[in-house]
Amino acid sequence: MNAPTTTAQPTGAESTGALDLDKLFAARLHAARVRPYLATALFALHAVESRQVPTMAVDRHWRCYVSPGFVDRTPVEELAGVWVHEVSHLLRDHHGRGDRVARERGLTGPGERLRMNIAADCEINDDAYGEGLVRPEGALVPEDLGLSPGELMEDYLRQFRLGPLTQELVWLDCGSGADGLEREWDLGPDGAHGLSAQEQDAVRFRVAQGINGRPGSAPAGWRRWAEEAFHPPQPWRELLGAAVRSAASGAGAGEDYSYARPSRRSTALPGVVLPSLRRRPPRVCVVIDTSGSVSDAELGSALLEVAAIARAVGGRSDMVSVVPCDAAARIVHPLCSGEGIPLLGGGGTDLRTGFAKALGTGPRPDVIVVLTDGQTAWPDTRPPCRTVVGLFHRNRGSRWREDDPDYVPDAPPAWARVVTIGSPGAH
Amino acid sequence: MPSHVPFPATDVTAPAPASLDVAEQLLALLSDTTTEPRPDDQLEALTLAVAADLPVLLWGEPGIGKTAALTQLAESLELPLTTVIASVHEPSDFSGLPVVGDDPAEQGVPMAPPDWAVRLVRAGRGLLFLDELSTAPPAVQAALLRLVLERRIGSLQLPPGVRIVAAANPRGSAADGWELSPPLANRFVHLQWTHDHDVVLRGLGGTWPRATLPRLDAERLPAAVDRARRAVCGLLTTRPALVHRLPTTETRRGGAWPSPRSWDMTIRLLAFAHAAGSSGEVVSLLVRGTVGDGPGLELLASLDRMDLPDPEELLADPAGADLPERGDRRQATLDGVVAAVRRRPDKSRWDAAWALLVRALETGAPDLVVVPATTLATLRQEDWDVPESIERLAGVVTLSRRADLSRERAAARTGDPVGADR
Repeated sequence: MNAPTTTAQPTGAESTGALDLDKLFAARLHAARVRPYLATALFALHAVESRQVPTMAVDRHWRCYVSPGFVDRTPVEELAGVWVHEVSHLLRDHHGRGDRVARERGLTGPGERLRMNIAADCEINDDAYGEGLVRPEGALVPEDLGLSPGELMEDYLRQFRLGPLTQELVWLDCGSGADGLEREWDLGPDGAHGLSAQEQDAVRFRVAQGINGRPGSAPAGWRRWAEEAFHPPQPWRELLGAAVRSAASGAGAGEDYSYARPSRRSTALPGVVLPSLRRRPPRVCVVIDTSGSVSDAELGSALLEVAAIARAVGGRSDMVSVVPCDAAARIVHPLCSGEGIPLLGGGGTDLRTGFAKALGTGPRPDVIVVLTDGQTAWPDTRPPCRTVVGLFHRNRGSRWREDDPDYVPDAPPAWARVVTIGSPGAH
Repeated sequence: MPSHVPFPATDVTAPAPASLDVAEQLLALLSDTTTEPRPDDQLEALTLAVAADLPVLLWGEPGIGKTAALTQLAESLELPLTTVIASVHEPSDFSGLPVVGDDPAEQGVPMAPPDWAVRLVRAGRGLLFLDELSTAPPAVQAALLRLVLERRIGSLQLPPGVRIVAAANPRGSAADGWELSPPLANRFVHLQWTHDHDVVLRGLGGTWPRATLPRLDAERLPAAVDRARRAVCGLLTTRPALVHRLPTTETRRGGAWPSPRSWDMTIRLLAFAHAAGSSGEVVSLLVRGTVGDGPGLELLASLDRMDLPDPEELLADPAGADLPERGDRRQATLDGVVAAVRRRPDKSRWDAAWALLVRALETGAPDLVVVPATTLATLRQEDWDVPESIERLAGVVTLSRRADLSRERAAARTGDPVGADR
């Protein structure tokens, strides 16, 4: 075909083997046909011929730099795989995430960026191929580095170093779109045909919509991406903290104005009753599900978190109590620093006894925090204080009872604020 | 009552003039900074929301220049800036201080407003910045929200010329767990205030950015209103579920969510942004800050489609057609053209569509043309002759076949059945 396209820009006079656009675009068509949900993103990529790129590379403005020699020596079906691979870097915002990781963990230098590129490749390649798409020669999968598939770039980055296993990968280069490091061939933000941040979001949104609309057709990695593309899961510590803080500093507890004692300004206004700022440390009671289904490590980390938050909102350690609870709630322990709490139990759970115990002992708590995996019965009526539920994440599969496949545990009641603890994929 | 001693009575007659003079010089050198024009999307979004007279809530960590931005905004809008640090006030400072008059039983106890409020009302206009909303005790916050939403301080009503901006720390970093209830969150335009690493570096080096603020174009006003209404109504016609959706999950608490009120705010902001000729980035910040990320992105996506060329205009003049450069938009345009032919099929429209496809092929990537060409071919009716131009699309057929062969080879190598479209 003789289409003089504006898509590729000629580079200089020497033209030993021009870029075979037909081959490149036939490969893109192949990719779009076997991955229809990626078609918008594939077509939004702007191909630029470049003799400096070793293979194909993307920049953060959604340009795709293509080496003519690479196109010549690679079969169409493998090129299709490379297209999908490169567009995945952009859709998954590997450059932005790479920059964030670099800042957070203080990773500098080209070596670290190469590691990011490798980790990003592992995230993509573990489920990108198959089903009509060939894994291109030399494409790296987590197993090559002795890692398990299904994880995120950030997680892989912690698990390997540059060394003998990555020796042959130093040629690997997916461009600044994959790891955030500018390359000499990049056209930069002012070059033609770049996508602005908002346009990139719009493309991502369309792709995510396509995947969510037909969830059966995309692999698990893409479905997870689509669910989280615009609502990345917040770290549960932050959410639990916000919920507990908000519950503990509501009216009646924490720091607020009260008419119980006159204001200091009252002397200036005789005869007028003004409220004054009073502090009343909140009482927090933590009901812990100690049934066999919750692991000690999970409980430990969640309990420490609640105790730390309770202290931060002004609760003294004697104001935080703990009720271990399985089928029966035992005793109420004060939470004192340095003292371990015996987490007894291990059978089934009935949190109703835990609630009763928490409300029935001593002064009424301002907040009840329940840490549970949710496989329990809940009280029928709303308790007379704020309730925060820390729900340990369980795969849906493990929620079914073997002997009763129709059994579904009750969801936490609507009057409680629910924070899912340890949900996967928190970047 | 303790006796009140204003200042310790020390001797203040012996300053150290020489060393302080040098210090003054050093301070003058340090404050001698320049500015450079630099587009700033978040400042532009803030300006538009303030101009549109909507309450704005800036979310941002302390110390990243929210106050500096407000100072700049006040200067450019020529509004006097009044900053009130919420956390150092009592609720009565906002709800009014009770003042006992001559006969309380007869005349009641008037609620006296604080001095800054009186000055604001007297000036008739101004920018009121309520800083540190999230570190104030709950009762103060409650009093402040009445001020923001009803524009009342005690017995004073703030004049319409007063614009209000509030600032809060993200709830993860707030020391006490302040958060907005959904009804309150729904009344604000939420803007996330972040710092740009490069801007901060250049600023500390002595050159701060100076944003050029948007000017509303008087001639575009009717078109802007029309476009904004069409965009929102068009989306809500096809997606009625988006009209009202309370946030249910813990993650989205306290943020923007869609309701008739916030959609109304969105129309206002879209019209302002269009009249100011703002970029897509600014529109995105405003829309997502008003109805939330998901509905906001849907609206942006439909705005994007609204901006595609009209298929009927393209069909009317295929030779002069101006197709979008970007591949995905170009394919969406061509799909729209084919859909238009399908809706009202006749020979001349069918021919015009082929001419458009040829044009698309000559000016862009060929793989985009495959699907529209295939669909258009199926629309042919028996008495229609194939136009000559179709021969120039032969390359597309080859390309399509090549992709098919590639798929077969791939399937053979991966061991999957061919043809089953995923």
